[in-house]
Amino acid sequence: MSILEVKDLKKVYTSRFGTQKVEALRCVNFSVERGEYVAVMGESGSGKTTLLNLLAALDKPTAGQVLLDGVDTGTLPEKNIASFRRDQLGFVFQEFNLLDSFTLEDNIYLPLVLANMSHAEMERRLKPLAEELGIADLLKKYPYEVSGGQKQRAAAARALITEPKLLLADEPTGALDSRATDELLSLFAEVNRKGQTIVMVTHSVKAASHATRVLFIRDGEVYHQLYRGNDSNEQLYQKISDTLTVLTTGGEIK
Amino acid sequence: MRFYLRLALDGMKKNRQLYRPYLLTCIGMVMMFYILASLSFSPAILGMRSGDTVSIILVLGTIVIGIFSLLFLAYTNSFLIRRRNREFGLYNILGMNKGNISIIILLETLITALFTITAGVLLGILFSKLAELFLLRMSGADVDFLIRISPVSILASFIVFGAIFFLLLIVSLARVRLSNPLSLLKSEAAGEKPPKANLLLALAGVVILGLAYYFAVSIETPLSALALFFAAVIMVIVATYLLFIAGSVALCRILQKNKNYYYKASHFVSVSSMAFRMKRNGAGLASICILATMVLVMISSTGCLYFGSEDALRGMQPYDMTATVFMDSAASCTSENAEALRSIVLNETKGKEKNVAAYSFVETYGLLENGELDLDGAKEASYLTNSDPNILGKIRTVILISLADYEQLTGKRADLADDEILVWSSGKPYPFDKLTVKGCRELEVKDTLADPPVRVSTEDTIVTALIVVIPNWYDYAAELSGLDDERRDLSFVRQRIAFDLSDVDAAEDERLLDAISDAGDERIGADPDCGWLYVRTESYLSYKGFYYDLNGSFFFLGIVLSIIFIAAAALIIYYKQLSEGYEDHSRFAIMQKVGMTHAEIKSTINTQVLTVFFAPLLLAGLHLCFAFPFVEKLIRLFGVSNRAVLILSSVACFLTFALLYILFYRGTARTYFNIVSASENA
Repeated sequence: MSILEVKDLKKVYTSRFGTQKVEALRCVNFSVERGEYVAVMGESGSGKTTLLNLLAALDKPTAGQVLLDGVDTGTLPEKNIASFRRDQLGFVFQEFNLLDSFTLEDNIYLPLVLANMSHAEMERRLKPLAEELGIADLLKKYPYEVSGGQKQRAAAARALITEPKLLLADEPTGALDSRATDELLSLFAEVNRKGQTIVMVTHSVKAASHATRVLFIRDGEVYHQLYRGNDSNEQLYQKISDTLTVLTTGGEIK
Repeated sequence: MRFYLRLALDGMKKNRQLYRPYLLTCIGMVMMFYILASLSFSPAILGMRSGDTVSIILVLGTIVIGIFSLLFLAYTNSFLIRRRNREFGLYNILGMNKGNISIIILLETLITALFTITAGVLLGILFSKLAELFLLRMSGADVDFLIRISPVSILASFIVFGAIFFLLLIVSLARVRLSNPLSLLKSEAAGEKPPKANLLLALAGVVILGLAYYFAVSIETPLSALALFFAAVIMVIVATYLLFIAGSVALCRILQKNKNYYYKASHFVSVSSMAFRMKRNGAGLASICILATMVLVMISSTGCLYFGSEDALRGMQPYDMTATVFMDSAASCTSENAEALRSIVLNETKGKEKNVAAYSFVETYGLLENGELDLDGAKEASYLTNSDPNILGKIRTVILISLADYEQLTGKRADLADDEILVWSSGKPYPFDKLTVKGCRELEVKDTLADPPVRVSTEDTIVTALIVVIPNWYDYAAELSGLDDERRDLSFVRQRIAFDLSDVDAAEDERLLDAISDAGDERIGADPDCGWLYVRTESYLSYKGFYYDLNGSFFFLGIVLSIIFIAAAALIIYYKQLSEGYEDHSRFAIMQKVGMTHAEIKSTINTQVLTVFFAPLLLAGLHLCFAFPFVEKLIRLFGVSNRAVLILSSVACFLTFALLYILFYRGTARTYFNIVSASENA
């Protein structure tokens, strides 16, 4: 069964005085199976971020539905949305979004503390996760003391520690150098292998080439998709590049 | 030039959220400065009974405002410049050199200075009449309704505030010169180190505060209070800064160590961001706390002085009128001389006198230790200049009266053998069973008295006073005055007649004072060998005018300075809210993404903001409580010793201040929430 179903999703932004309407998403349909690693690609302005905000229930759709594990996030009352987001979803952002007033450890604990978990249980969860992400020695440090890659791994730990049904990543490699990008991508692949469902929004071909499926968005619609099948990362990379070339030169996909 | 002018005006307009309150505060300070300066030279004030004294008090107040304005405007100016560094950095990168930027700053300062000083002086002229009427009414003087403009004060305002703005300009220019464009551009976003808990400083704060509090509650006499007051004030100021800067962070760190407390949804975010917040705001909050304490202590003490004036007057002049004759020797205190004084007085008062008390006495002071009074010790440690609390606590004023006068004053009989005495002591009862003046006979205390045989003036009870009733008064007084020639002035023998009056107005009172002292002088002139040296007359009514002038102007000054201090505290709060808002918005956006509800975010903000803003108020309240014994003793120096009035005025002050504070907090909190939530939508 699909863990995420997006049906006829539409989002229209209205300028402040209602004079101008911008259609960010026209009609988006797709679903994500449990254990899948889906990359959503598109150029700036294609509606990627809008889509992610709707998936995260940070924004309400104009029309259509987002079903996470069968629950329509658009109908959740405001007071339940935050806890829903906290318990079901994990987030990794381009800008890390770590709180500078917390140590990495406390940043990772944040969602658990909000969920009123006991400290012993938090520690029990953090230990293996920190080992896996290679940040066990950095836990007592503050964000300003560590590198971008380390920050992003801490952010990933924060997203994963709630054992979310779905990990949402928004351009996670956008602020990283190539080595840190490689590390993070192999980390995501590893997490995915262990069963974590991931939806990642990106315009980096390299990032997308680690996914099991790639969705292309253009002008507010899902325009095309690629399955990895038995391709290696390199082969998928090539296919993505080709698709993008066709997309940007305006041709039709064969 | 027009281009720079436009940039300068635009810069101020764009930053009006910062500039508007700054300009208002500047105007307010100039206005208050002008008002106080013009009042100190106002003919209406100088025409008051104690106009000269009032004028000096007002001049002192003017100086205080000048100095405070300099300090405070320097603080706010540095805040403004820091906020605008980004803008200047941008200009710099766009191709302006530092000279160009300096011109903009120069123009901005010039505009600010001209505008605020002019507006301040105009408002000052407008409101100075109001202030004058208020002051005159408070001291009960006559008022007129002429509006006066004081050119001297206008000039003074322009010179003083011109100089202040000039200094601010130099500081701002130096700041721009010393920085490079990149750091200007980034100065707001520089990564921040986590606050370190300096336990040592925190501990020092606690210890110093504890010590100051201990001084305050353990103080015994008003004079030792005066001696320790300034030390205690400095200690409290230092401790407040230490506690807010280091203590608060240390407290947060200790809370963070307690895992079960810290890792709770309601404490987690608050405690950790509080540590950062306190690091940035500790100094500002400590300043607010100290300003608040100053306002509270100032208003409650000057208010108590003013409203306790009646009381103070009665304390200093316990009888409506007193005539005192200074005698050449104890032997001259004959009943014939006493009778002469009585008839001079009764001749003038013509039956309007009541409660007449006539007696002879010797008054001296010394250090009392184990029942022995050391006059020399006190001579060396003059109690007005010495500040050793150990010595000050031992000083006793001793008033020696005869058994015969005692029996006549009280109507009671007492059997005293030679060298036996009765003792009354102000404050605690006399604790020893003998009283010996060093170098004189030893005296046995037969009994202590619950009430003094005559009403005692508070002037005598600033240090603890003893009234000693002794049978062979003449011998002992002679013995005392023979003790030390240098102390003759202190152990003068006096005859006194004190009485109340009925149906006497101020004019009649003044006539009586003059008539009695004239009649006394006449007697001395007619018979130089009668034993009288001179006559001094005092009255309750004649003191009253002086007192109301003095305490009225103290209270007035207290109110004026409080307004300034409150305005300053308010501006600090406002700027805090602004800068907090800007810094918090990104933080709360993250928390929302991580799964915090709006309600949770709002309640965390509330907890933090409430703690931050009410901590100074609470500590100020605590300071006020501990200052209470100090203030109570200090105002006793001014003759007011009414605890109820002081408690009432302290509580009233605190409540009024708290109310103002809460209102202001609510106003600024809205600005803060707007900034935070505006960024969430963006």
